[in-house]
Amino acid sequence: MSAVTGAGGGGARGSAVWWTALALIGGFVLSVRAAEESDSGDAARPLSPLLAEPSGPGLPAKFPDDLEVSESCVEMLRLFGERYVAAVNCLVSSARPVRVCQNCYQAYSSFNDIYTNISSGQSGNVSCQDSLMRSDRLMLLFNLYSSLTDIWTSALCTQCLTPDQKSLTNSTLDFISYLNKSLSCFEKYQENHTELCMDCKATYKGLNEMYSTMLKNKGYCIDIEDAMNVTRRLWSKKFGCTVPREETVPVIAVSSFMLFLPVIFYLSNFLHSEQKKRKLIHPKRAKSNHSLMNIQDKFS
Amino acid sequence: MANITKKVSWSGRGEERTPLLNGSEEVRYSRQSSGGSVFHIGRLSTVDLDEDITPEEDPVRSKPKEIPHNEKLLSLKYESLDYDNSENQLFLEEERRMSHMSFRCLEISRWVICGLIGFLTGLIACFIDIAVEYLAGVKYDLVKENIEKFTEVGGLSISLILWAVLNSAFVMVGALAVAFFEPVAAGSGIPQIKCYLNGVKVPRVVRLKTLLVKVFGVICSVAGGLAVGKEGPMIHSGAVVAAGVSQGRSTSLKRDFKIFEYFRRDTEKRDFVSAGAAAGVSAAFGAPVGGVLFSLEEGASFWNQMLTWRIFFASMVSTFTLNFFLSIYHKKPGELSSPGLINFGRFDMDNVQYSLYEIPLFIIMGAIGGVLGALFNVLNYWLTIFRIRYMHRPCLQVMEAMLVAAVTATVSFAMIYFSNDCQPLETVTSEDYPLQLFCADGEYNAMATAFFNTPERSVRSLFHNPPGTYNPLTLGLFTLTYFFLACWTYGLTVSAGVFIPSLLIGAAWGRLFGLLLSLMTTGKLVWADPGKYALMGAAAQLGGIVRMTLSLTVILVEATGNVTYGLPIMLVLLTAKIVGDYFIEGLYDVHIKLQSVPFLHWEAPATSHWLTAREVMSSPVTCFNRVEKVGTIVDVLSNTSTNHNGFPVIIQAAASEEPGKLCGLILRSQLIVLLKHKVFVERARSRLSQRKLQLKDFRDAYPRFPPIQSIHVSQDERECMMDLTEFMNPTPYTVPQETSLPRVFKLFRPLGLRHLVVVDDENRVVGLVTRKDLARYHLGKHGLEELHLAHT
Repeated sequence: MSAVTGAGGGGARGSAVWWTALALIGGFVLSVRAAEESDSGDAARPLSPLLAEPSGPGLPAKFPDDLEVSESCVEMLRLFGERYVAAVNCLVSSARPVRVCQNCYQAYSSFNDIYTNISSGQSGNVSCQDSLMRSDRLMLLFNLYSSLTDIWTSALCTQCLTPDQKSLTNSTLDFISYLNKSLSCFEKYQENHTELCMDCKATYKGLNEMYSTMLKNKGYCIDIEDAMNVTRRLWSKKFGCTVPREETVPVIAVSSFMLFLPVIFYLSNFLHSEQKKRKLIHPKRAKSNHSLMNIQDKFS
Repeated sequence: MANITKKVSWSGRGEERTPLLNGSEEVRYSRQSSGGSVFHIGRLSTVDLDEDITPEEDPVRSKPKEIPHNEKLLSLKYESLDYDNSENQLFLEEERRMSHMSFRCLEISRWVICGLIGFLTGLIACFIDIAVEYLAGVKYDLVKENIEKFTEVGGLSISLILWAVLNSAFVMVGALAVAFFEPVAAGSGIPQIKCYLNGVKVPRVVRLKTLLVKVFGVICSVAGGLAVGKEGPMIHSGAVVAAGVSQGRSTSLKRDFKIFEYFRRDTEKRDFVSAGAAAGVSAAFGAPVGGVLFSLEEGASFWNQMLTWRIFFASMVSTFTLNFFLSIYHKKPGELSSPGLINFGRFDMDNVQYSLYEIPLFIIMGAIGGVLGALFNVLNYWLTIFRIRYMHRPCLQVMEAMLVAAVTATVSFAMIYFSNDCQPLETVTSEDYPLQLFCADGEYNAMATAFFNTPERSVRSLFHNPPGTYNPLTLGLFTLTYFFLACWTYGLTVSAGVFIPSLLIGAAWGRLFGLLLSLMTTGKLVWADPGKYALMGAAAQLGGIVRMTLSLTVILVEATGNVTYGLPIMLVLLTAKIVGDYFIEGLYDVHIKLQSVPFLHWEAPATSHWLTAREVMSSPVTCFNRVEKVGTIVDVLSNTSTNHNGFPVIIQAAASEEPGKLCGLILRSQLIVLLKHKVFVERARSRLSQRKLQLKDFRDAYPRFPPIQSIHVSQDERECMMDLTEFMNPTPYTVPQETSLPRVFKLFRPLGLRHLVVVDDENRVVGLVTRKDLARYHLGKHGLEELHLAHT
């Protein structure tokens, strides 16, 4: 009976549902149950598998009409499910290497549309928002939606998409083409790494620069980031094209010269600077004959 | 003399030895002249150098002795502040004239001043922050660009030189300003403010010029990449702002706004200065309560509820102002999320949990912090002695600062260059300066995130970067180098604080501690979050160096914004203080001692009850008669060898050699004002002086009373008489001769006295106890020792 505990949040209409639900529990839930199960057959609509009745003993599949979701809402629910499945499928299949934004933006945006439809409550004369989303504490649709949205925002996919979310931006496409150029260069020199480091350097550097300018404009999504990371790893680790540490000797020479300076400075100060002396002053004191011994003698 | 022998017979054992020691006078003097840095009270107690009075003066002692500077001296250049209100007739008259309403107005203007103090302090903090960020940004961008350019082509030693030269240039500008314009602006300023609140008048410490040099110097030294922070100087800045605002005028600028005239005396000014110090702490760490407690702990010996409340108000205003203006600067107006200069960042609730079994670990860390802090202080102590003895020329000091800056850059560069610790950075914000150098693309040199950054940022990254950002070797090397760099830097002639470097050292070894813990307990990685241990290490190290207790706990708790850590931080600081105090005092106390300041601690030395006021006091005392000849006054005041500040006023019994009976106390500053206005009895009779002198005339001359040399007194006027009755404090505090030192101390320190008259049973003046008479006793390694007075 989770509907009872969770419905309070739904505003005026929600509280109406709440009261009726209470009445239901109070009186005739159990007695109605058998009857409902029996006539669920003729009231059955073409439900999607998501909304299938429980086989075997269980809670009734539907309640009397005034409390139940309208037909259009059930249809939307079905659509929501389908698109959710499609989006998740797409995400999972493009998990490694990460192609999430590039492959799934269509699936995601259609999923987004249906959720917007449901939550705006503009379909037909009945608002599906209350019946589908606000009548229990589980808030399943919202949670599913928000988990996907979280993934989408943390992937920063919007950065690689045009404002209408319908296609990839030009800079992204540019980057992809540049990346392909570098990769094909890598392909060419598979055997000889030193040559690879020489000849592909220009394209690779161009790619790097492009990436860092995009970084500055805050414009990169996980796809690009991941592609760049893999390429960099190829370049530095596999092909070993890092800069070698070559100038150890001059650096050591300059450093030790610098470290030597203070030694000279302090030594010359110690030897040549005259030590500052303090003139002692003897204060006026009362001529007392008392306590002429050292104090520690007195206290030892 | 009868009195004295009686006294001797009172103190049991002293009686037996007196004849013996009287006989061995010769021996004593020769021992003394052979020198030795430790002098004991017994050898000095009969010394009396006033040559006019003691003709039987020992010839050995008459020439001034010279010794190298050490910490067992008291300097003559420091004077006391007059915290005791002089309740003379003028004061009473003024109080009578003031209506109920004007007392209300005074109360309101106190609040207004506190608000202003907070506001201005916050603004200054904001200015320093922005300037440092900008300059450091320019510098690091330049060096970074250069390094990136030369990494491939070769020539990194040029980058090294560029970095060193940039650092030295910044530091040179800062050090020049400090060394040549205002040497008192050097260092963090906390010791000086401690002294001021203690009642010592440190020359020029709260002037406008000091503030300007301080702010400028801090910006230069932090931007110059020294191992310093900008937090300590904020406290000094806040104090100067307070001292300036509360007076309603600037003597340096020669502008008098004719407001807040009532507050122009030491008593009122001190209250505001403590509010300013609190506002400074609060702006530095975003810790208003910590600021209030800092003032309470370090300064004010006198404390009341309304004052605390006002100080808290000033602190709050200061942190709010800083917050507000920084939010505008960061283009998020109204988002008040950066309350202090140093922002420790947020510790998330998931990471902050600590368990009972971690508490012993924290205590161990506290002990390590205490030992390391003591080591830091000892090294710095020797270095400072060397500096005072050998490096007293300003140009040498500037050169030293430049060398330190260059070496700091060199060492950092070498560390970065030879480090093999490459880590991928999670998020690169525009505030960081990641260096790649020889790392694989997409990875950055981990050593550079610690060294190639302003210290504040490094602290934050040590606290918050996820586990695995640094490897143990990097942290170990960083701790080691930074420890010595920071120790070397503190005490240079640049204005800079020690808070941040201490935090940084501690955070580095604390993080190392956490890393090693999690390495030792494989499988239990979860509980040893290195960030948490970095925080504890930072607390331990800072506590080990500065030895603050309550206020530091609250400051750290407020800066992390997390009350959960209250208990562990307190335990860590407690342990660090206990362990550290076993070896040496806190850094600030060490520096106060080395400056030869007559600083009064909370209590008299423990084993001093046998000392009485008679032994402590200075005697004989220069006194004035109630109606005194102007010539005598001028002569006494102009005598440069004595330079006394307070004079008991006596009624001389007719024609007797006995010292007169005490009837009041008058200050040098009052006498000078009187002489300047020529308040002579003869002129009053002949109606030459137009109006009666008011308290306002004394306040107008405050705080820089003209020297006596600038006052011209003609030969005729010297013959005039001056009636001091109206102006002297008719009820000065007095003690009988037999009062013990701790008892004198208990009267002197909490009341903030400057002069305490010692009288005999017939109320005749026999001596005068001043701050220097009390401050010279301290408990050394060999029992009670006495400090020497010296010219510095």
